[in-house]
Amino acid sequence: MAKPTVASDWLAGCAGCHMSFLDIDERIVKLVELVDLRATPITDFKVPDEKGVTVGILEGGINNSHNEHVAKQMRARSKILVALGDCAVFGGIPAMRNFFTLEESLKRAYVDTPSTDESGMIPSSPELAKPTLVRAVHEVVKVDVFVPGCPPDADIIFYVLAELAQGRMPKLENNNLMWN
Amino acid sequence: MVKITIDGKTTEVERGTTILNAARDLGIEIPTLCDHPELTPYGGCRMCLVEVEGIKTLQPSCTLPAGNDMVIHTDTQKVHDARKFILSMIFSERNHFCPSCQVSAGDCDLQNSAYDESMTHWPIMPNWQPYPVDASHPFIILEHNRCILCRQCVRACGELVGNFTLAFEERGADSNLIADLGLPLGESSCISCGTCVQVCPTGSLIDRWSAFQGKETELDKTKTICLGCSIGCGIDILTRDNRLVRIEGDWDAEVNGGIICDVGRFHPMIEERERLLTPMIRANGKLKAATWNDAISAAAQKITNSKGKLSGVASTRLSMEALNKFKDICDAFDAESISTTEDYSAISAVFDLAQSLGTAFESKIDEIKNADCYLMIGEDTTKDHQVISFFAKRQIPVGAKLIQISDNSTGFDHFANESLTIGKNSQSEFIEAIENLVAKKSSDIDKIAKSFKLDLSSLENVVEMISSAKKVVIIFGSRTNYDNAAAVLDSIISLKNQLNGKLVTTKGNINSVGASAIGINNVENVVGSELTIMALSDEELSQSFSKKFDKAPFSIIFSSYISPLTANADIVFPVQNWLEQGGHFINADGHIFEAKAALEAPEAVFSSEESLSKLADDLKVKKQKSWRELVKETPAPVTIS
Repeated sequence: MAKPTVASDWLAGCAGCHMSFLDIDERIVKLVELVDLRATPITDFKVPDEKGVTVGILEGGINNSHNEHVAKQMRARSKILVALGDCAVFGGIPAMRNFFTLEESLKRAYVDTPSTDESGMIPSSPELAKPTLVRAVHEVVKVDVFVPGCPPDADIIFYVLAELAQGRMPKLENNNLMWN
Repeated sequence: MVKITIDGKTTEVERGTTILNAARDLGIEIPTLCDHPELTPYGGCRMCLVEVEGIKTLQPSCTLPAGNDMVIHTDTQKVHDARKFILSMIFSERNHFCPSCQVSAGDCDLQNSAYDESMTHWPIMPNWQPYPVDASHPFIILEHNRCILCRQCVRACGELVGNFTLAFEERGADSNLIADLGLPLGESSCISCGTCVQVCPTGSLIDRWSAFQGKETELDKTKTICLGCSIGCGIDILTRDNRLVRIEGDWDAEVNGGIICDVGRFHPMIEERERLLTPMIRANGKLKAATWNDAISAAAQKITNSKGKLSGVASTRLSMEALNKFKDICDAFDAESISTTEDYSAISAVFDLAQSLGTAFESKIDEIKNADCYLMIGEDTTKDHQVISFFAKRQIPVGAKLIQISDNSTGFDHFANESLTIGKNSQSEFIEAIENLVAKKSSDIDKIAKSFKLDLSSLENVVEMISSAKKVVIIFGSRTNYDNAAAVLDSIISLKNQLNGKLVTTKGNINSVGASAIGINNVENVVGSELTIMALSDEELSQSFSKKFDKAPFSIIFSSYISPLTANADIVFPVQNWLEQGGHFINADGHIFEAKAALEAPEAVFSSEESLSKLADDLKVKKQKSWRELVKETPAPVTIS
């Protein structure tokens, strides 16, 4: 039987959850024995296989039209979708901007910051993704496994992936759930 | 008694016991967010819903009294689903993003409840409505975004402290915690007792000084008593790496039941006085650092040379052990007087009366908790010995009457049913007049009202309230000065006897009773002695007190902090402050407490007892009677036990 395939991508997050994933250290060898690691943002191959993967992992919330597209594509191409980390699960730190209007946030980022001079302006190229409210992944697509944590502990990430690789659904409760 | 079964365990409980408490007795845990053992059940959060056989809908266990043969289930899928749903709704109401919250990871009831229900995410997302943060208060930050509207703070403010500062405005999703009628907390009637912070289940009410300094599991906890005043409230001192992080009221403490005031909770956090860290001897007009041995020898020599011409001043914040040692030294060198740092004539009158009566005449502080009429005389207990005022104020909503006799405005002005302005010199006469009116020995109320410049109706009201009360408690704030303190106290005792009421006096510092009970009760300070030995501990003394000793010819001072007194002294010894030393204390109730040290002292700074022992040993002072023996021999205003 072919090994289960895994793909991942990051959205509105800080890449910290992927760093935490790398913190599984030498266990990655064991993991690669169990699964076929396909597209990830930290490997050459960036887009999940068209024919689909067993497990898709998303880090980060969804804060623009591009993220929305990536999330929908990942959902469409994976059997099991994992929301990894607080941003993917709740919106996390990026979602703090939801307490302000989009205009206020953009003005703050591109015009009002101390490092911006008078020429500061809000980018408006039609090629750019359209910013939206920051949403948890499950607000846009169905999520099967939620792994909260900022970031989730490497042990938890290994546990979740190892369980999924062996065809079981991970159970996050008690100590497994208390990331801090 | 009624028989109930919870999760298959059957028990008998008193009629009226709530299901929640019955479950607790059985060791079955039901999660709650708005419940607090010291507060009236509220039924607001619905986290404690349980399934009751025969009842269609889930029931809140905190407000449901146990009925006979009730069968209850707390661990069913239906119950867990309900809890998760409730938590989802609470999480989605405001900003409950845990990573940036100061109580996250152990100290938050909301987060812990979600963990217990294995919630990995929120099915309902927040509506992103921002709420203001009120940082106007010197000690407390009110973070509305973290509020779950449980109203524990509101109930604690009213039910426990009787201050009624906090309340809720609006309804439903617009509900908002407010102080007074919408004032910033720092400008409101808040008295900074911090009880609201202690009961807050989330990070909505934050104590500025301890925020982000560690979770409760990372802190060391010392159960001890507050030395802020004579009440001796039970407290927990939380420390980390030998640093004071926070002070909390001890819910299990008998005298205060968990409530403390700003003096106990916050004032130690803002201690700004400079520590004394080494002994000093005056040479050529200047204080110079010296070794302990040199300073002790110099002090011993001066004391030996001044035999019979010295006087002692002891802080009533010293432990029994230290006071005992101090007295031994003073007695061995025939001190002209041993007085205390509390130069209030009313305190003196209280202890003198105990001496002359030879027996206790006061009641326990506990009696304040359930009276229906309070008569406040003397010092303003809303400012000093505050917990006493909390006990009285919180009885007002349940019908207790509060009458104050004072020569100026006090914190009771807004709470008292009648505030009678009577000059200090006429208070004893006035109290006598009240007694005569109540005893119907005098009927000329009109004349009395006129002579004391009072409204006739007010006076009539006072007499009526006192006469019709079932239990009158007279609270005499004795940290005050009268020209005729003994006469005032006599009139109070006479009125108390006439009313068959209770009397509680505040007495002053934590060990005022203890000092008096071993014979250090001479309040009048002798200031002209050739040598003055002062054991001041960490007491912060008033300017007027310090000024009295400006011209002391020679003084030896044991003190934790630099002060005008130590600046004028000739030999100075550093001592530990209250957080660093233990010892026994006798509170206003006559209860003997043992305080425990919570912090380690700086290098070569010893406790008052150890420092005085060094001096006593050098002087070869023999230990006389132990303080326990002395206390047994000396009559006190309250029974000491």
